[in-house]
Amino acid sequence: MKKKIISLALTAALLLPSLALFSGCSGDGTVILRVYNWEEYIDDGGEGSYVYDTLKEELAPDMSHKAFQKWYKKEYGTQLAPSIIDDFEDWYEETYEKPIRVEYSTFGTNEDMYNQLKLGVTFDLVCPSEYMIMKLIAEDMLEPLSNEFFVEDNELNYYLNNVSEYIAGVFAEERELDGKTYQLEKYAAGYMWGTTGFIYNPEKVDFTENAYWNTLLDTNYKNKVTTKDNVRDSYFVGLAIVHQEELLALKEQYENKEITREDYNEQVTYLMNDTSAETVKKVQDTLIKMKSNLYGFETDSGKQDMVTGKIWINFAWSGDAVYAMDLAEEQGVELNYYIPDECANLFFDGWVMPKGANHQAAEAFINFLSMPENAVRNMYYIGYTSAIAGDEVFEYVEDTYSAEEGEESEPYDLSYFFGKDFRADEGGAVIYTSPDQLSRQLYAQYPPEDVTPRCAVMNYYGEKDKEINELWTKVKGETLDAWAIVVICVAAVVIVGGVLLAKFGGKIDFFRRKPKKGYELVKQEPYQPKKK
Amino acid sequence: MKLRFSRKMLCIPYAVFLLFFVIVPMLVIVFYAFTDQNNHVSFNNFIQFFSDPTKLSTIVYSLVIALITTVVTLLIAYPVSYILARSKIKKKTVLLLLFITPMWINFVLRVNAIRELLSWIGMLGEANYFNTILGMVYDFLPFMILPLYTTLQKIDNSLYEASADLGGNAFTTFFRITVPLSMPGVLSGITMVFLPSMTNYVVSDMLGNSKVTIVGKFIETYFGSDWHMGSMIALVLLVIVFVSTILSGGFKSEENVRGANL
Repeated sequence: MKKKIISLALTAALLLPSLALFSGCSGDGTVILRVYNWEEYIDDGGEGSYVYDTLKEELAPDMSHKAFQKWYKKEYGTQLAPSIIDDFEDWYEETYEKPIRVEYSTFGTNEDMYNQLKLGVTFDLVCPSEYMIMKLIAEDMLEPLSNEFFVEDNELNYYLNNVSEYIAGVFAEERELDGKTYQLEKYAAGYMWGTTGFIYNPEKVDFTENAYWNTLLDTNYKNKVTTKDNVRDSYFVGLAIVHQEELLALKEQYENKEITREDYNEQVTYLMNDTSAETVKKVQDTLIKMKSNLYGFETDSGKQDMVTGKIWINFAWSGDAVYAMDLAEEQGVELNYYIPDECANLFFDGWVMPKGANHQAAEAFINFLSMPENAVRNMYYIGYTSAIAGDEVFEYVEDTYSAEEGEESEPYDLSYFFGKDFRADEGGAVIYTSPDQLSRQLYAQYPPEDVTPRCAVMNYYGEKDKEINELWTKVKGETLDAWAIVVICVAAVVIVGGVLLAKFGGKIDFFRRKPKKGYELVKQEPYQPKKK
Repeated sequence: MKLRFSRKMLCIPYAVFLLFFVIVPMLVIVFYAFTDQNNHVSFNNFIQFFSDPTKLSTIVYSLVIALITTVVTLLIAYPVSYILARSKIKKKTVLLLLFITPMWINFVLRVNAIRELLSWIGMLGEANYFNTILGMVYDFLPFMILPLYTTLQKIDNSLYEASADLGGNAFTTFFRITVPLSMPGVLSGITMVFLPSMTNYVVSDMLGNSKVTIVGKFIETYFGSDWHMGSMIALVLLVIVFVSTILSGGFKSEENVRGANL
């Protein structure tokens, strides 16, 4: 009986919070929206956020952050400016006349997020990367976006009305996975996107004209290059090196106008999704060779190492590159970014709804984030490039990157991103920027139109996933020859045997110490106290 | 039936804790290790593990790294603890504290400091295995010093006097008295250094620039993509740990001196 009571109490204690989780609304009719996003991937109203920094710049540019926060608290009763989430809650209540509460949690890697979903934790809105979205679609874990989300003349559909042509095109492409075709746009709305390339130190290497991925194998740069410590980025680099000739031939054909933009992109994408057994083997050999030339694999430390000059070339994600270049500028170092001539990986994160999500609230959240002014806030905070185009975004980019008046300037055409008709009567989506931006932050945030056809999306590997993960462990680990393993195993057995002997050997006659010559071993009875 | 409070009931919270946080997780690992993606029983992971030279090599590498770390730690820690325990230096506690205080600083921070140091003298990225072992030795040194210090301090001084009386020189005294009597400390020090240094991949990642892969890192990588293989590796490691603990006599309670008496 006792046991039963205890177990009942325990079960109840365990179940209660989960019951609350399963219900979409709380008792008082407040809608609950559970959002699961990357860490530091949304404007939080604190130091480094748009509203806060603008206010500080206006009111007290010389004040320290601490002092400003103190002042702010006195003025507004809080240390932070409103975060995007606060503003969304207000906006939602105003627009739909229903109170809403956002339950916001974060993850560190796509795989963590996937495991949480698999464990049955429910969310209304999740923000995975492109390949993880594909995986979730393949495993039928996502809910498609509703038809209302795609109604054009609804002014509340900010995503549909503001998403960049370029990103919308990528999302609309038909993809194939395990025999089924699908389009990303049915399930996902773009959030941030970027490319992969090299951050390089122009004092040490010259990549202004061209750069190739196999620089990573160049022994002239031994211990001066790094790549990312993850399987997908490494596989991409390996593929680009293996397919270098074909990729460069395609580039030449495109430059000679023998193939169209679309064809070029399609063929690069095809090559960069090659997972045939033969290629996998070649990539593996390339990466193992590359490993000995690398300074190391890194995830975060590369930016700092670039600034301090420890390394000269760093495989980087464009958003990180912007951050690294900003950081370097502050310390008086110049760093540049370049997308190698063969190709680059076009990656993005998008909002998707897991099965059972609250459609209306989730889609409202996506739309709120897609208002250009909010896209600007998030871009400012995160440092990556938003998938949203629109006036405010263009103005922000213009403000940030335009050359100073009287300074030398070059036109930089962004009409592929903002649209051909964007500001048609005011000269279109062209920014007049200082020439050095052409190889720096602006180039990283918005690659030039000529470069975009060689930016390819690398799809989820599907059934090849396991094989490629095995490749990665082979690259990261060391592989000894069979004989070496046998020798070491034998040695281990000998050691273990030795220890066992030393421990128990004394009990076996054979291993007892023999008495010295002229002495005799006297068997001694253990001392027993006499009984009275 | 009446509910009566007895003293035995005090152990219920502990039992529940043990059940949920020790026994159940272990069973889950075993379950994952011997099932496949569709949760069917399968020995595939087992076969794959023992037929893949990379995985076996990685285990071997980790064992070797752990072995070197342990030996070096022991070679450094023994004289230090001997001096601390036997010599008549004043303020011994202060000296001991100097060795122990780093343990109170966050471990990642300490490894980061070493990283900066190595990079400053230009070693980072040049000798990855050396750096990894250096980091581990630095990190685990207190775990070796503490039990050694405790056992060495407990050795009765009259034994040394007796040895001197019977004509034993310093060499004999050391090998006939000090070493045998400090064995429990040595063994528990070895257990506390050897086992964690097989899995402590923060050190190998940060000081080996992620070019050194030990078992712990392997398990972490697999848990990103394939929980079943990850669990299998974890299970193999568990067996290795278990065997080496038995060998070093870690389960004998009377010899257990892990507690530090500062």
